[in-house]
Amino acid sequence: MLKKCYGKAALIVLACLLLLVGCVSLTIGQIDVPFKSAAAVLMQQLGLPFLQDVSLSKEQLAVIWYIRLPRMLVGMLVGGALGISGAVMQGIFSNPLADPGLIGISAGAATGAVVAIAIGGTAGSMLAMPVFALCGSILAVCLTVFLAMRNGKIPVMTLLLAGVAVGMLLGAITSGILTFMNEQKLQQYLFWMVGGLDYRRWEHVYLAVGPVLVGIFIMLLLARHLNILVLGETEAKAVGMPVMQFRMGLLFVAAITTATSVCVSGNIGFVGLVIPHMMRMLLGPDHRILLPASALGGALFLVFCDCLGRVVVAPAEVRVGIMTAILGSPYFLYLLRKMQKSVF
Amino acid sequence: MSEAVIQVAQLKLGYGDRCVLKEASFSIGKGEIVGIIGCNGAGKSTLLKTIRGLLPKQGGRISYFGKPLEEYQDKELATKIAYLQQHVELGFGYTGKDIVMAGRYPYMKWWERESDADERLALACMEYTGTADLADRSVNEVSGGQKQRILIAKVLAQQTPIIFLDEPTTGLDMVYQEEIFRFAKALAAQGKTVLMVVHELNLASKYCSRILLLGEGTLLADGSPQEVFTEKLLSRAYKADIKVEHDLVNGNLHISTRVSEAAKLREAELLRQICGN
Repeated sequence: MLKKCYGKAALIVLACLLLLVGCVSLTIGQIDVPFKSAAAVLMQQLGLPFLQDVSLSKEQLAVIWYIRLPRMLVGMLVGGALGISGAVMQGIFSNPLADPGLIGISAGAATGAVVAIAIGGTAGSMLAMPVFALCGSILAVCLTVFLAMRNGKIPVMTLLLAGVAVGMLLGAITSGILTFMNEQKLQQYLFWMVGGLDYRRWEHVYLAVGPVLVGIFIMLLLARHLNILVLGETEAKAVGMPVMQFRMGLLFVAAITTATSVCVSGNIGFVGLVIPHMMRMLLGPDHRILLPASALGGALFLVFCDCLGRVVVAPAEVRVGIMTAILGSPYFLYLLRKMQKSVF
Repeated sequence: MSEAVIQVAQLKLGYGDRCVLKEASFSIGKGEIVGIIGCNGAGKSTLLKTIRGLLPKQGGRISYFGKPLEEYQDKELATKIAYLQQHVELGFGYTGKDIVMAGRYPYMKWWERESDADERLALACMEYTGTADLADRSVNEVSGGQKQRILIAKVLAQQTPIIFLDEPTTGLDMVYQEEIFRFAKALAAQGKTVLMVVHELNLASKYCSRILLLGEGTLLADGSPQEVFTEKLLSRAYKADIKVEHDLVNGNLHISTRVSEAAKLREAELLRQICGN
């Protein structure tokens, strides 16, 4: 009972912190906007009867409503998606070092993105790259699963190895295409590769919100089943779980959720690996608490990193993918050291 | 024999094309405690896994309560048979109670959560197996014996009429080993059918009501411990010289191996070569 209350209290604290960091992210940047003005923009745009008397400049309205709010929302969606998908992947593979990139999602997205740039799709529409990246990710996951399947079963180790092979193959294809691209296109690709939240617009929010929220909802719904799946295939079958269906179902939901987030923000590392880990250490392994905590923690971490990236070398910005790596890699190394001393 | 709860006919099993056991036919009744014995690689665990439906069979028929195994849904089968596997890797630091609660999984709809009644039952099972104080401790922090008793509590929480135990005493000291057999006997006395893979022949002879002896790729013998534990049958199954003594005071059997004089001489010669003198 105490554990349940502690878990729920932790979720409330995380949600409050996320709200707080979200508010901060609306106010900081190259143009300082007071919190009251930022709140007034939201109220007026949403047609709510509060703060209607606050006078706002066109610049403030544009910065908050068209730049910072979509950027913050994309950050929350991507961070939440990466965090919860990481926790699910670690559960499916019964491996605390698993991450969504393991089954070729990132490599597939990169190949999709580079194809979009190479054929000039990005010049036509800003959604071309995300859509190509999404298709690339889904194809990569399908290829990985197809290669790993044996007699209707997917052994975890084979799946991981197939993921590595598909990742390397797609990496080679991406490199091959890159060698034929001009400098301008190369820069475009590099900009996407170093994941970031800058220049995210409402279109990106619309693209990500549906798949990410539906994916998170399905994963939360199946959290109890993941607790059984983690005990191992035989143990799960012995208590009546159709292991294959649940494993495949969760894998595809996590893959599509991750792919959607990667396609709108580029490759952002460490969130899917570090956040579930951290939450597991703080709140225990019960996925009914771990999954929502990883979603909230991922969103919090990403928006926080984005805020930090905007202030550390102001007026310039450090892209969020670099910030997550700078903060995430020392923590990951600390975890590895700790792992040598304790058993997960 | 009381009503048959498990019926196996002409069962052939193995891995891929390799056949491990063939022509195995037996029927087990309610309240029986049956030990499966045989030398390493005889197919004991494979037999248990196959009749539980965890491995595909190569031929033959398996049925529970008169209904073929193939006609059972996953969850329905899990309400009939609880299975304790040989090696369980419990990662991520789940608590004892988390593990025991997994036994309630087959009784829940996919969207449901464990009820208070499930939690009370899980705690009662832990109390029965002497693990109540481990309810909130990570299973990674407990001893092998405690972990095994937590897993037995999980099997009990599954509330099934049939219990399969695959080498439940592996790695346990003699006190825990006998305790596991006592649990099995108490469950059989409650009308549950217990089928267990065992290596401790002395304990099996004391606690099992029936023995299935596997050897030479088939079911060599099926009967009471007195019928199966003969020097001839055991020596044939284990490909060794086995000695069976009857304790006239308590009626127990004492089973041990004999080493022939020729083997002793050969071992001594090899040892001299290895040790260099």
